Amino acid sequence: MAILGLLLVRLWTMQVLYGAAFASQADENRVREVTTVAPRGRILDRKGRELVTNRATMAVVADRTVLDDPALLNRLSSLLSMPVAEIKEKISSVREAALAPRTVMIDVPKETVAYLSEHATQFPGVAVEVQAVREYPQGALAAHVIGYTGEVSESDLAGEDGTGYSYGDIVGKAGAEAQFEQVLQGDRGSRLIEVDASGNPRRVIQDVEAVPGRDVVLSIDSDVQKVTEKALADAMTDAHKQGFPKAKGGAAVAIDVKTGEVIAMASLPTYDPKVFLGGISKKNWAKLTAKSSEYPLTNRAIMAQYPAASTFKAVTGLAGLEYGMTTPGSTYDCEGKWIGMGAKWKKYCWNHAGHGYESFMDGIQDSCDVVFYEIGHRFYKDKGEKLQKYARRFGFGVTSGIDLPGEAAGRVPDAKWKAAYNENYPEYRRWLPGDTVNMAIGQGDLLVTPLQMVNSYVGIANGGKILEPHIMRQVLGPDGKPVLTSKPTVAFDTRADKGDLATMKTALVSVTQPGGTGAGSFRGFPVRVAGKTGTAQVAGKDDYAWFVGFAPANQPRYCVVVAVEQGGHGGSVAGPAARQILASLLGQPIEHVTASDASR
Amino acid sequence: MNERGRLWFVNWPLLGIVMALAVYGSIMVQSATSGMDAGPALFKRHLFGLALGMIPLVVAWAFDYRKLQGWIGPLVLFAAFLILSPQIPGLGSTAKGATSWLAIGGFRLFQPSEPAKLVTIVIMAAVIAGYKGRISEGRDVAKILAILAVPLGLILLQPDLGTGMVFVAITAGMLLIGGLDAKWFLILGISAVLLIGTLFGLNSGLNKALSRGDYDPAYIAAKASGDQAALDELSDSSVLIKRYQMNRLLVFLDPERDPKGAGYNLEQSKIAIGSGELAGKGLGSGTQSNLRFLPEPHTDFIFSVTGEELGFLGAVLLLGLYLVLLITALEIAAQSRDLFGSLIVAGIISMWTFQILENMGMTIGLMPITGIPLPFMSFGSSFMVTNMMAVGMLLSVWTRRQGVAGI
Repeated sequence: MAILGLLLVRLWTMQVLYGAAFASQADENRVREVTTVAPRGRILDRKGRELVTNRATMAVVADRTVLDDPALLNRLSSLLSMPVAEIKEKISSVREAALAPRTVMIDVPKETVAYLSEHATQFPGVAVEVQAVREYPQGALAAHVIGYTGEVSESDLAGEDGTGYSYGDIVGKAGAEAQFEQVLQGDRGSRLIEVDASGNPRRVIQDVEAVPGRDVVLSIDSDVQKVTEKALADAMTDAHKQGFPKAKGGAAVAIDVKTGEVIAMASLPTYDPKVFLGGISKKNWAKLTAKSSEYPLTNRAIMAQYPAASTFKAVTGLAGLEYGMTTPGSTYDCEGKWIGMGAKWKKYCWNHAGHGYESFMDGIQDSCDVVFYEIGHRFYKDKGEKLQKYARRFGFGVTSGIDLPGEAAGRVPDAKWKAAYNENYPEYRRWLPGDTVNMAIGQGDLLVTPLQMVNSYVGIANGGKILEPHIMRQVLGPDGKPVLTSKPTVAFDTRADKGDLATMKTALVSVTQPGGTGAGSFRGFPVRVAGKTGTAQVAGKDDYAWFVGFAPANQPRYCVVVAVEQGGHGGSVAGPAARQILASLLGQPIEHVTASDASR
Repeated sequence: MNERGRLWFVNWPLLGIVMALAVYGSIMVQSATSGMDAGPALFKRHLFGLALGMIPLVVAWAFDYRKLQGWIGPLVLFAAFLILSPQIPGLGSTAKGATSWLAIGGFRLFQPSEPAKLVTIVIMAAVIAGYKGRISEGRDVAKILAILAVPLGLILLQPDLGTGMVFVAITAGMLLIGGLDAKWFLILGISAVLLIGTLFGLNSGLNKALSRGDYDPAYIAAKASGDQAALDELSDSSVLIKRYQMNRLLVFLDPERDPKGAGYNLEQSKIAIGSGELAGKGLGSGTQSNLRFLPEPHTDFIFSVTGEELGFLGAVLLLGLYLVLLITALEIAAQSRDLFGSLIVAGIISMWTFQILENMGMTIGLMPITGIPLPFMSFGSSFMVTNMMAVGMLLSVWTRRQGVAGI
């Protein structure tokens, strides 16, 4: 009796009190979940040409346990011709929580795979598996737009967007890969299999097929992108030839004026997204993030903030016309220097010899500083910060909303900003006449991104409406038909007067005509271009070269910006690059011209 | 004298409960073997064993047990013969480290140690009955133990630790009924513990002295090289306690010790029973048994299948059936015409009780794992036939009980 009672009590505890726990152990025993990774969506250019696709590769993966076996590490090291330190780094690169095997090497040669399978007992914890990795059929083309992929980070997993991801998943880390992660990723498949004690599958309990990621069609045109990247690189060599050896960084953007579609976007220096495949090595990461590298991972087109310099004069000019600070017929006298704020605060025109008698229109064409000192000074005296307000209407000081991560907002300086910025330096907190005057010529504390600059000219070209720039054109469904298509939306309505815009357009056309600062760049160009050169002064650095403009001038279709850090003069470095890009956009012969320009 | 009806010599409750257990067992064996390739064949053999068991049942029933009381000497020889018979060249077959099967041409027929249990019960009953219900002299105790030592010693040499334990349990139960002094129980209990301790010490010492078992140079070399295949092939040269026996014991004390090795069976059995929860997963739907996580589901671990597929309710039903069986048997012991009959019944009760406790206990981690099957439930014809014969012996005692004249 006592014996049976004892058995009974024990059975009650096991089956009734803790039955559920045992039941889940029984399920763990018999149910195996096999997940299948969904192929990541491709990234295509506007004509459907592949920018990013996938390919299968043989990868060597290793468990964390391999770390504890120095002899094994040595064997693996000599087999893969990979330093032990690097193997260790690959395996331990992810936090303890990740138990999944780590990828040590991809694109493993066949002979190595064969050796590993023949000598499997010598390599416990090491396995070969087929992995899908990103493939870049056009190399590093549009690297900054495309971005790159990498293993999902711990913080990503912890965050709200981390649901559905697990350790080792490949996710977009930058550019379009990151921006469109949700559609590119797809849903992993999961198959629940019942297995017997020997691990043989008996039946499928549940089968959820992997849903491949969607293809994303970008507005980028590979052909134009190639020309844009080459033109930007040419601008660097031109700058070097012209005595600006420090020119290394820069950006160029081409936008469809009517739709806001980004046709091309380049940034220098660039990088090869391939280095991230299979996990970037510490060495390569250091190379890409060192100060001396000039930060190739930065997409300068949307992240760099430069002084706008003379390209901003179009905005100052329009603001002047709008608020009556100038008229198309206003005339000015440039003596090479300007003492509008008193002799003590004397300022110079870039042309120290003086432009002499200048109309408002001449001021744009030859980029006379004195004309815009005068206009800026009037804005200062008006005390209404109207120049700043007008600049914001053109999208300065705020992000444009482009569908790429990391866009910078730039800066439109005003009295409030200056007071806050110099909080600890009371003597610098007051807004001074020089602040407005400097801003009027695009210097001082005004900072713009190349994208903001091109956007403001889109506003001029498009009757005052600035469209939201975007790189995503379509998302394709499994059948290749679009399931999502971008529609043009107005990002900034400048409410600029149509007449003022026409005046400014005329002035900007004259820039590329004989006598204009961009004449050399566009000499013999078959299509009329409206644009503006700029040469920004940056403390402690060589001048930054700018060109921004649109064409055809009478029926604007494309707007282009080129900015070159420490590249010297806009008219001789940025202008010729913009010419190549516009030629490519408009189907004109692409010609790399040399031009000289001494203006600022 | 026929007020009980015409079939007064039949103990209906006993037959009924045995039939119920046999049916329950058959259902479970059928379910446990359904997932195996040899399932139908095994189930047929189980039913055949049941049918075969009817023969010794009837023979034992008809046979007057009292005639056996004077045959101690020949019975001891018979028991020894049964136990030793597998060692006869050409007749024995080895399974799980013990040579305990009789086989012809490699086809296993019979485990003679099973009926040897019953023979031992009769021997011990005859010896103990001689003391008329009072055993207090050391000399008497020594004599009883000396007789027990013959079958027990032989079975331990096979080595079959589980059956040995059954012999000890049987004797203990019979001594209780046979009137052994309480002080002797105490003395014997303590001696047993000391003996086991000495045995382990001796095993280790002898292994060390003779370079066998864990101290076997070949074993040490194989272990150091980490070559599992060589380790598996190596025969265990331990002197007294084989390594697998030691492992089972260590795993019982610490189930987490070796979950993939010796602890695996216990772990899987506990998962099977626990996951049955209250009402079970349904007959034939046990995942642990059908997917072969459970070892030997139709023999040693038939209770695990029952617990998994029929849940706590099924287990309670089985415990209830066993309770009725044991109570019915106790009644027979109480109504026996003589002490010899009572002692035989007591021996059978002890045997069943111990087997139930040990088998169920091992499946839920209360007892160390040994190869002891569950009476009337487990697959295995020698075992079934032996238990049926035990039922026949109970009936033999019952039919010749007190107040039944003329027999």
